[in-house]
Amino acid sequence: MLNSVIAGLTSGGGYALLGLCVVLTYRLVAVVNFAMTAVGAMGAFVMVTLTDEGLNVWLALLIGAATAALLSGVFGAALVRWFAGHREGTKAAVTVALYVALTALGLRLFGGNTTGARQFPNPFDDPVFTVGGVVVPQSVLVSLAFAVLITLGVGLMLTRTRLGLKLQALSERPGTAEVVGIPAPRLAVGVWAGVGAITMLVIVLVAPRLGSDFGALAGLISTALAVAMVGAFRNLPLTLAGGLIVGCLEGMSSSLDSIQKYQGVVPFLVILVLLWWRSRREVWDTAHSR
Amino acid sequence: MKRTFVRTSAIAAAAALALSVASGCSDSGGSDGPIKIGAINGITGLFQTPEVPKAVKAVFDEVNAAGGINGRKIELVSKDDAMDPARSSQAARQLIKSENVVALAGSSSAVDCGVNRATYSKEKIVSVPAIGVDPACFTSPNIAPVNPGPYTLTTAMLYYASETLKHDKVCIAYTVLPGSGGGIENAIKEWEKLTGKTLAHKNLAVGQGDPTRYLVAIKNAGCQAVAYNATVGPWFQQAKTQGMQKVDFILAANSYSDANAKVIPPDMNAYAGTEWQPYTDPTLPGNDRWSKIVTSNNIQKTAFSQGAVMSADVVVQVLKGIKGDITRESVTKAFKEMKPINYPMVGTPYVFGPGNEHNPIKGSQFVKAENGAWKVLPGGFTVPAPKK
Repeated sequence: MLNSVIAGLTSGGGYALLGLCVVLTYRLVAVVNFAMTAVGAMGAFVMVTLTDEGLNVWLALLIGAATAALLSGVFGAALVRWFAGHREGTKAAVTVALYVALTALGLRLFGGNTTGARQFPNPFDDPVFTVGGVVVPQSVLVSLAFAVLITLGVGLMLTRTRLGLKLQALSERPGTAEVVGIPAPRLAVGVWAGVGAITMLVIVLVAPRLGSDFGALAGLISTALAVAMVGAFRNLPLTLAGGLIVGCLEGMSSSLDSIQKYQGVVPFLVILVLLWWRSRREVWDTAHSR
Repeated sequence: MKRTFVRTSAIAAAAALALSVASGCSDSGGSDGPIKIGAINGITGLFQTPEVPKAVKAVFDEVNAAGGINGRKIELVSKDDAMDPARSSQAARQLIKSENVVALAGSSSAVDCGVNRATYSKEKIVSVPAIGVDPACFTSPNIAPVNPGPYTLTTAMLYYASETLKHDKVCIAYTVLPGSGGGIENAIKEWEKLTGKTLAHKNLAVGQGDPTRYLVAIKNAGCQAVAYNATVGPWFQQAKTQGMQKVDFILAANSYSDANAKVIPPDMNAYAGTEWQPYTDPTLPGNDRWSKIVTSNNIQKTAFSQGAVMSADVVVQVLKGIKGDITRESVTKAFKEMKPINYPMVGTPYVFGPGNEHNPIKGSQFVKAENGAWKVLPGGFTVPAPKK
């Protein structure tokens, strides 16, 4: 059991990164982006397709990230242009449609789970240490470090810089932000593009652990949303913790025979419990809900 | 509640429906019109096998060019069910009622058997699927696929691990689809009965996400060989990280693809059990005919197209043996009374027969991943048999 929990924890860094991407988009542009991992997977597959053709890995990574940034930017522009005044639910529904379309396109372009498996570069494969029979490779530490970097970096940027302030204004009151002279649409598209590129890097980093075909990688959105829920879509450090919690729960559930069959439900159970917990608090705190 | 986006994910699944293929009405095929054979294939949707109806048609075209059967031509009527149960049942009704097909051959759908088994029994029509996917394909009175299917294949994989590779600690790590009942459990019991051995570790609930937790459990159990049927890429990446280079992983037929051979790291031991002669080597016994048909008709070379050619060949042979009128009744009767057909592309002879469950093809030919490709191992088909 302890081994399984440790094994689960090693995937926590990757899950945390996925959750952080969701929270990042939500905090910066106030959209729950269901198409996020599909966009990242698209960039990642452009990258492996190019490396398979013999292109240099770094150049391919750059082109892949640029593709994801461009795609995400286009989606962002569409949302800003046509759905700016709509409710969050509507915007989320638009991204669900984009997710379905991108997944269908990706499966068509890159193949399904048997024909579309690809070898992703795994530069951080060397073992660092062993705990209770579980080999911990560098990639686990790299994922965790990247997650901490995003948590601290974005946290500081939002609270300590002028750009951060503008971004917060844009996310919370886009109309007012524009009135006071913040170039809202341009900034929003920039944020979308940036988040797209970061998501692509995250997908490439987690691919050797979490999926080698387009469907599996695009489908990581369900885990990402579960993790983001832990941080209530706002709190970056809690989201980081959420990744570790989900990993830990997965490890634990796979080691207990009685609940092994239902382990796929774990992330959704986390979502349900948290939704219930939050709505329970709102009875006392309705003034703050929007 | 502030935000209730979660439920929205359900929309995703529903949105993927494609347009249905409209079918024209045609004559019901008397005793001198064409002999109509139906097939339900996944062409769109999650389980896509477009090469299957093409290969079946290619076989029928060949027979027709040589004069047909008793002067009558064979016509394939293929319907796409897009892995949608409603469309699958509609397709079966259309084929039986409107198209008046005499039998089904070369079906390749992930839902057909489960959805339509009762219809086939009620209408007294037989189906010889190119690929039996769901468990109902192997447990129905009027369905007998030309592939071993996941259950007998699992027995063969475990048998290969314990008897050919001679490992004492054999384990299983499987993703078992809901609704497949005790099929895999029975396959394990069959292996236990044949070999007198028991599994060192069993996990039939391998899920998505990081495979490390399953691999660590396998490592702790000291497994020397592991039968495995889920996603290949991350599994082998992480098995390598966990230092499991000495474990023999035996993959099910669904993992036998060129793409998967490429994602297995060179120092890992990966075998795969195939359902027909490995399609990657056209010189193997029985593969010559299949290879000729798919190459000359420009059809993708896949294991599924092997099943397609075999099911078409089986049907043609049975039809040729019918004396008198070829009708649904005479075809069903011929299948139920047929003599076994030796078909070198599989491990055991094909026979339909009168029983209530059919799984005639047993055994598997094993291949090993070497330098990014599958290498056929010597020794031919491994057909599980009791120890002498």
